[in-house]
Amino acid sequence: MNVTSNVERLLTQVLAGEVWPPLADRHGYRVDPDGRAFLLPGMGGVTLDIHCGDPATGYAGDHIEPGLSVRHRETAANYALQYLTCIGNRVVVSSGPAKGAGGFVIGQHAYVLVDMDADEMRNVTTGDQVTVFARGQGLAFDNHPQIVVKNLSPTLLANMPGGTLPDGRLEIHVSATVAPEAIGAGAGMASEYANTDLMGAYDVASPGLSLGLESLRIGDVVALTDQDHRYGRGYRAGWTSIGVISTGSCLLFGHGPGPSTIMSGPSDAFVIVRDEGANLKSFGLDGTKAWS
Amino acid sequence: MNGASTVTVNLLGYVDQGEFGDDPYRIDHDGRPYVPVGDGGIVLGLRLGDSVFTHLGDHAAPGVCLVHPVDDAGHGLVALSCLGNPVTVRTGDAAGSRGVVLGKRGGGKRVIAVFSQDVLARLRSGDQVAIRSQGQGATSLLAGVTQLNVSPVALSLLPVAVRDGHLDVGVRGVVASRVVGNGIGRPMAMWDVDLQCAAPSSTLPELRLGDLVAITDLDGRLNAGYRKDWLSIGVVVHAGSPQPGHGPGVTILLSGHASSFSVRSEGESHQGLSEERLLAFVENKE
Repeated sequence: MNVTSNVERLLTQVLAGEVWPPLADRHGYRVDPDGRAFLLPGMGGVTLDIHCGDPATGYAGDHIEPGLSVRHRETAANYALQYLTCIGNRVVVSSGPAKGAGGFVIGQHAYVLVDMDADEMRNVTTGDQVTVFARGQGLAFDNHPQIVVKNLSPTLLANMPGGTLPDGRLEIHVSATVAPEAIGAGAGMASEYANTDLMGAYDVASPGLSLGLESLRIGDVVALTDQDHRYGRGYRAGWTSIGVISTGSCLLFGHGPGPSTIMSGPSDAFVIVRDEGANLKSFGLDGTKAWS
Repeated sequence: MNGASTVTVNLLGYVDQGEFGDDPYRIDHDGRPYVPVGDGGIVLGLRLGDSVFTHLGDHAAPGVCLVHPVDDAGHGLVALSCLGNPVTVRTGDAAGSRGVVLGKRGGGKRVIAVFSQDVLARLRSGDQVAIRSQGQGATSLLAGVTQLNVSPVALSLLPVAVRDGHLDVGVRGVVASRVVGNGIGRPMAMWDVDLQCAAPSSTLPELRLGDLVAITDLDGRLNAGYRKDWLSIGVVVHAGSPQPGHGPGVTILLSGHASSFSVRSEGESHQGLSEERLLAFVENKE
């Protein structure tokens, strides 16, 4: 991105994480928008065969977390991992048969989510240790003081199109624009953690549900209209937040594929350009290739 | 539930204190730190009928929050407690005093109960109360409309009636689902939804604690979520919040297709729940 920033001042912190298992309770089932019970895979573990650029929806799953779902065993150390990790940060597997394999962060959810080479990913499972080279929190653009930047690694920033325009606004390429009606679970939470579930992309045909978001892909950059995510996630007319879709299919009502926030500011500080190529995969963060 | 009779369960709750972490500050929507006051526990000086925007609090409720120290028992407490359920203090200086359930708060952890101000002043965190819970599973006033979080007999306190095949409801105002923040995607039998409103607007006049409000395009039967042409009606149970994504809280009582309802937006003339009527209601019911 053609923008000057304080990137040279940013530090890298080396953080430990662990691939966390899928969790369930003894009742098993949750309910879909029409009250039907379901039991499906999604969160936790290592979810294979869904990478950046692939459809976010269309899977028999709930809260699909592509790739590795990573957290830290200790609560406070886990918050450090979740808050400091940025999209595009380098990740290395540190134990198990895939030790040494590289990947990259695609976003946060209940976990840090990591994409990597599909063949190498098959050798990773629950309990494997990973190391995250966290860099990006504190990033700020020199000439866009109204825009708050977060969860955005210098690696991803360097590979994104757009940048400062002659009129002073920031050009951002997005593959979709999302109306405030779609904002689901995640509203009211910290914007350095987890993501914003988008409603209206369920894989059920019940009337009144669709908000036209069924074609989202994992890794898509999207613009959220009337959302101020500078200090948490909230509705605010005239503000725009930019995010990257990090999770996929949901059947749980009020939930859905979700973006992790990377920027937020007054809508008139941005020029939004619709661009089908606005996806992490197009920016060189390709999980189907080895990454180091 | 097919006209089956509801089940009454006596529950034990504990008077809450409100909790802080190591850091006294929360951050408001413009990035300013503030110390949250009234977020749980016993709150004096905030009453049904007060504006949700007047006091300097964070999620402050008009009365007391009731909790249970065991998580699962807390979820049961919140899930089963309904508007209008009688509350009796069992221990402490206010033992024997009567209050009434107003609604519930997010996280599946807190029931909000209304007491008179003099009883509230004698309560202390850790005091035990008995809640005579009843209402979940009750037959709705109108087929096709889901009713939850309200004791059927307490419906007489609300401007709700079946007329000409519709559920006629008087509300303070109508808000769109896009202003619903925290609570969306959560089960409405255990959470409220926060309205992201910091001040009165053209569609929402001065919102007061105990008011009914209507939320358009919100399906609140199970989890709350966007559904076009659906409507959810709820009662305002706590005041506003400076936190982004938060605001005055609404416990959902009725939800169904919008065509099932006839909603009267009453504005300034709306009569929400009052402390006097609620407390008289539980005294007369016994």
